[in-house]
Amino acid sequence: MAMRQTPLTCSGHTRPVVDLAFSGVTPYGYFLISACKDGKPMLRQGDTGDWIGTFLGHKGAVWGATLNKDATKAATAAADFTAKVWDAVSGDELITLAHKHIVKSVDFTQDSNYLLTGGQDKLLRIYDLSKPEAEPDVVSGHTSGIKKALWSSDDKQILSADDKTVRLWDRSTMTEVKALNVAMSVSSMEYVPEGQILVITYGKTIAFHSAETLEQIKSFEAPATINSASLHPEKECLVAGGEDFKLYKYDYNTGEELESYKGHFGPIHCVRFSPDGELYASGSEDGTLRLWQTTVGKTYGLWKCVVPGKCVLLFSFSWCYLAASSRNLSSNINGNHHLNLLWDLYCHLASS
Amino acid sequence: MAVPVSVLRLPRGPDGSGRGFSSTTPNRRGEAPEVTEVTKATQATRAALRRRFLLSLAAARGQTATFVLCQHGRVSAVLGAVWVPDGTEVGGNDGSAAAAFQVDALQTPLGVQRAALLRGRDVVAFGFQMAEK
Repeated sequence: MAMRQTPLTCSGHTRPVVDLAFSGVTPYGYFLISACKDGKPMLRQGDTGDWIGTFLGHKGAVWGATLNKDATKAATAAADFTAKVWDAVSGDELITLAHKHIVKSVDFTQDSNYLLTGGQDKLLRIYDLSKPEAEPDVVSGHTSGIKKALWSSDDKQILSADDKTVRLWDRSTMTEVKALNVAMSVSSMEYVPEGQILVITYGKTIAFHSAETLEQIKSFEAPATINSASLHPEKECLVAGGEDFKLYKYDYNTGEELESYKGHFGPIHCVRFSPDGELYASGSEDGTLRLWQTTVGKTYGLWKCVVPGKCVLLFSFSWCYLAASSRNLSSNINGNHHLNLLWDLYCHLASS
Repeated sequence: MAVPVSVLRLPRGPDGSGRGFSSTTPNRRGEAPEVTEVTKATQATRAALRRRFLLSLAAARGQTATFVLCQHGRVSAVLGAVWVPDGTEVGGNDGSAAAAFQVDALQTPLGVQRAALLRGRDVVAFGFQMAEK
């Protein structure tokens, strides 16, 4: 039986959602941060979209947000000319980093010791978070405002995008290694460490480049202007969204359009795969985030697989089974003492 | 016609009371759950046993089973299905069971009930004769 995608809508923001980022997988699950023009970035549980908290402190639109790998820290970039570092467990503001113009992008190194920022002042800044009062290392060279800045190659290099170029910098020498001229304004950039792939969107194009050489690997054309794209961790597929309010899923190898979904009520500004690839999140001008299943119909997070007839039996327990195994912590399956007795007894019967 | 995927509930939104990050959210880091070789082995064993249980339940469908109930009661019936009536997670922290067994031809001291539901919390164990291979 064909299953129809049911997106999960995460409400709470009051203005357009312009950026979002997932953490890595932690023993507590994975997390999602969203940047919003309402100035209040939010942290959510990654697999359910449940709101955890709001980082309060910025005095302007938040243009960029990121989490460190273990989701203990968050960083945000805002129109109030600051980047902030937050404790992602308590929600407390840890550090405010003053800039000379709107800050658009933030990124942690893998060890969370350094923060890279980029913005309208056309400068890349590298802050040592153990010495936040110290002046950052500054990298200049962009000729227009920086839209995105990312660490790459195990934090030895930096990738940055402005309106018309993507540049690769060497961290130790702070000099430009390579530059790529892009035909149209770059709308988004994503770095995929496994395989060193750079995903860039501009116009209706979704392009994949080597992060080491900036050589193009392949590109696809979408039916509408694309604002953001994300590559699945296994590189089986990619998702993209843009000005026509729709999300598109493509086969990465063939470029074939696999699925497309309406749902948002405004242009999609950002889309990202979760670290386990089971879902992807989109942020829109309509002020919402939506979570979408990669494999439609699979039991995961808040989605449940309902199979009628003979398999109802397996469904009711299989859901519990999956819920229990995904948590992998409790020694008492689902807290049901009687079911545990039943289960253990039956296992004894079945094995004898 | 495509059937929309069911969801357990909608994502929870801001509670409106403040900035969140309450001590009860999963984000709170208490003692990190220790994942050792022992816990991995335990988890693998439990997963295998759980899978076997589910397959056993599937095999049990349509078989005549004996149910051992609380207060030492015993009844036999043909097992139909097991489900969670209101769709919530099976069992709460208080041990209450939300599962129910749908059975046919339930033999009770009062007679044979053509179809019945046995509450999960009333069933201690059940068993059935597996067909010989």
